[in-house]
Amino acid sequence: MPITILPPKAFRDQPPRHSLNHDSDDVMSDATSDSEDSDSQPGGVSLDGGATIHPRKRHRSGAGAAASSTFTKRPKTNAAINSIPRSAIVTPGERITTDPQWMRGHGTYLSSASLGEQAITSSLAGIVTRTNKLLSVRPLRARYTPEVGDLVVGRIVEVQAKRWRVDVGSTQLAALPLSAINLPGGILRKRTETDELQIRTFFAEGDLVVAEVQQLFQDGGAVLHTRSLKYGKLRNGVFMAVSGTGGGGGVVRSRRQVWTLESANNGGPIDVILGVNGYVWISKHVEPVVPEEAKGQTGITNLEEVVSATMYSSQNDRIEPETMREIARIRGVVTALVENGLRVDEDMVTKGYNEAVELALVSADGPEDVYLGGERGEQLAAALTAV
Amino acid sequence: MASTQHVLLSPAELAYLHASLSLTPPIRPDGRSPTQFRPLVAETGILPGTNGSARICFADGTEAIVGVKAEVERTRTRHDFPSLDESAEDDDDLDDNQNEVIKGDNDWVEMTVEIPGYRDDDAGTVFLSAMLSEALLADGEFTKRLWINQRFHWKLYLDILLISPPLSYPLPLLSLTTHLALLAARLPRLKSEGDEDPLFDDDWAAAPYLYPRPSEKGSKATAPAPAAARPPVTLLVMAVGNNIIFDPSKEELAVADVALAVSVGESSSSTTSTTSSKPTAMDIDTEETKGHNLRLLSVRTIDPPSRLTPPGIPNASNSAYGANAGAKDAEKKKQQQEQARTAESEAVEGVWKAPRGGAKTLVMATMVQKVLEKGGVADEVLDALDGVDLN
Repeated sequence: MPITILPPKAFRDQPPRHSLNHDSDDVMSDATSDSEDSDSQPGGVSLDGGATIHPRKRHRSGAGAAASSTFTKRPKTNAAINSIPRSAIVTPGERITTDPQWMRGHGTYLSSASLGEQAITSSLAGIVTRTNKLLSVRPLRARYTPEVGDLVVGRIVEVQAKRWRVDVGSTQLAALPLSAINLPGGILRKRTETDELQIRTFFAEGDLVVAEVQQLFQDGGAVLHTRSLKYGKLRNGVFMAVSGTGGGGGVVRSRRQVWTLESANNGGPIDVILGVNGYVWISKHVEPVVPEEAKGQTGITNLEEVVSATMYSSQNDRIEPETMREIARIRGVVTALVENGLRVDEDMVTKGYNEAVELALVSADGPEDVYLGGERGEQLAAALTAV
Repeated sequence: MASTQHVLLSPAELAYLHASLSLTPPIRPDGRSPTQFRPLVAETGILPGTNGSARICFADGTEAIVGVKAEVERTRTRHDFPSLDESAEDDDDLDDNQNEVIKGDNDWVEMTVEIPGYRDDDAGTVFLSAMLSEALLADGEFTKRLWINQRFHWKLYLDILLISPPLSYPLPLLSLTTHLALLAARLPRLKSEGDEDPLFDDDWAAAPYLYPRPSEKGSKATAPAPAAARPPVTLLVMAVGNNIIFDPSKEELAVADVALAVSVGESSSSTTSTTSSKPTAMDIDTEETKGHNLRLLSVRTIDPPSRLTPPGIPNASNSAYGANAGAKDAEKKKQQQEQARTAESEAVEGVWKAPRGGAKTLVMATMVQKVLEKGGVADEVLDALDGVDLN
């Protein structure tokens, strides 16, 4: 079947990973009529505009009814024991509470509601979260905010005299100065005018680089560096952009952002780079080739020379169809994880990949079938969350 | 002017994509089979103020809505040449009223396409709307549906909006959404007779569909133009080497050798042959299939962005490649660059080179045939669209 057309999904109130935690107490509180949990004391927060539609109720009444019920005030009896909903979606400017007992956290600001009264108002579109008495709004999606030491994948979008401008999915372009790259051959010297003139031989527009955030400007812009053998130009694989840290699902900061996956079906080793900014690179793992004349000589400097020799190459190595197929499968796994609101990290991708290989075995088209979109992605996500 | 937006991809990525799409069978980056479309979510009747509307959403978040609005307009009488309808009426006085000449004018349909981030007079946007309206008006049958009487006609406004930024070339998405919106479109039932000022039935439930459903064959008999049973669909097809790939994503389109927009319409299916029993003498392909009687309406080549991509530099001529690369051997480098210039035309494995020259006719013919063939892609797409609930 070349095309699958699905009916629209019923309104989903929250990303599934939150609903996992709260499904049980939603049911409970439904029965006990909003006397929710321990930290909602009587006389708690009364909400203006009633951002307290219960997720369950919203589900039953359907999307249209839910929208209208946003504006209906709750009965007074309930308002007294009302509390901040665990997971209501708020929009910028929406008042969360006027009760002074709450503290304002990220994604909120104070605005004067009426005479001397201060209201905590959302400055984002997101989910209200509370930690004890701290109210904050987690954005549904956000751009990447760089931090020093982050491993990022970026695309060169602009070449300037002494630096490159790199798109890392942040609010601003990051800068990669000429002085922050390794010269080919591991030569250590000052950058000269000659280097400036041939800046495009290192990186040109469109090239993908893996780099590290070295420094931050006051305004949040990042300065990158590639002064390590791990970093440099990317080749032999595919790129994909998912949401990075800050938003809902997507790449999360974890112990390892780069690892080599031993793939199934004779695919050989495959490198996966999960940039903290949500840019992902999946490529064939290539061992550095030691040239004949360099063999026998050992030493760190020598190794550095050998590795950095291929650093600025834009020629792909020979890649077997089996490897390409497994690369496509891993890409499908990452897409499925993101589309189903799951986090993307080494653990999840490895588990998802193994699951996907299993799924393909029972598929009608055999293990060569790498398609993981639509229903299959949901199946995969269900299998992962069930464990 | 490129008809598709330029995508910034590195030469290594392009080389990889091209290599994987040239395999047999091709390996697409998202794992789809060559003829497979991205899964989509579709619904109709989302805009209460329109005569018909539809929304389609791809899994990657691209979303389009289309609204069809109709208003009654007085038909301009032409003075520049002897009125056709008068002479026709004189000739066919013996015939029934049904046989009076029904004409349509392409001005009766106005189509606007809006792509966020693009001006409405941007070449790409204009090209999109031209392609979509061309497919709709190609056979001249559609405008006949808008005829009310000698003096009045419906003026149809088609507003096509892409809500999300164009993550991929939006032509198939917009075309499918327009198709659904037109299928769902209804016009009020006419109560007046003949050439008097039109008067319509207030009952919306009685309003007939612009494209009558097969089940309502009774209303179809009175419908003016029974030829095309449903609006056209425009499919985006591309080829890499000899592989033919449907519904390409942005990355795939960036390495395409050829990209075609193929518009396919359906003349009334073989089951309703009573109305169109006379053979149509058209110079376009007519293929008899079980389910759909597909007809090729138009074919347009789309300028693939691959032609504008910069070529990759092979290692042999890369001055930043190799352990001894440095600023010292500048002379050697100059030599290498000259070599590279002469060797530019040769293909090196693993190095991206933008496609040059025209498309192969054979490949183009296969692409069109793949769309039209019995049980082919267009057939299945129309089948799938049939399954969408129209309300």
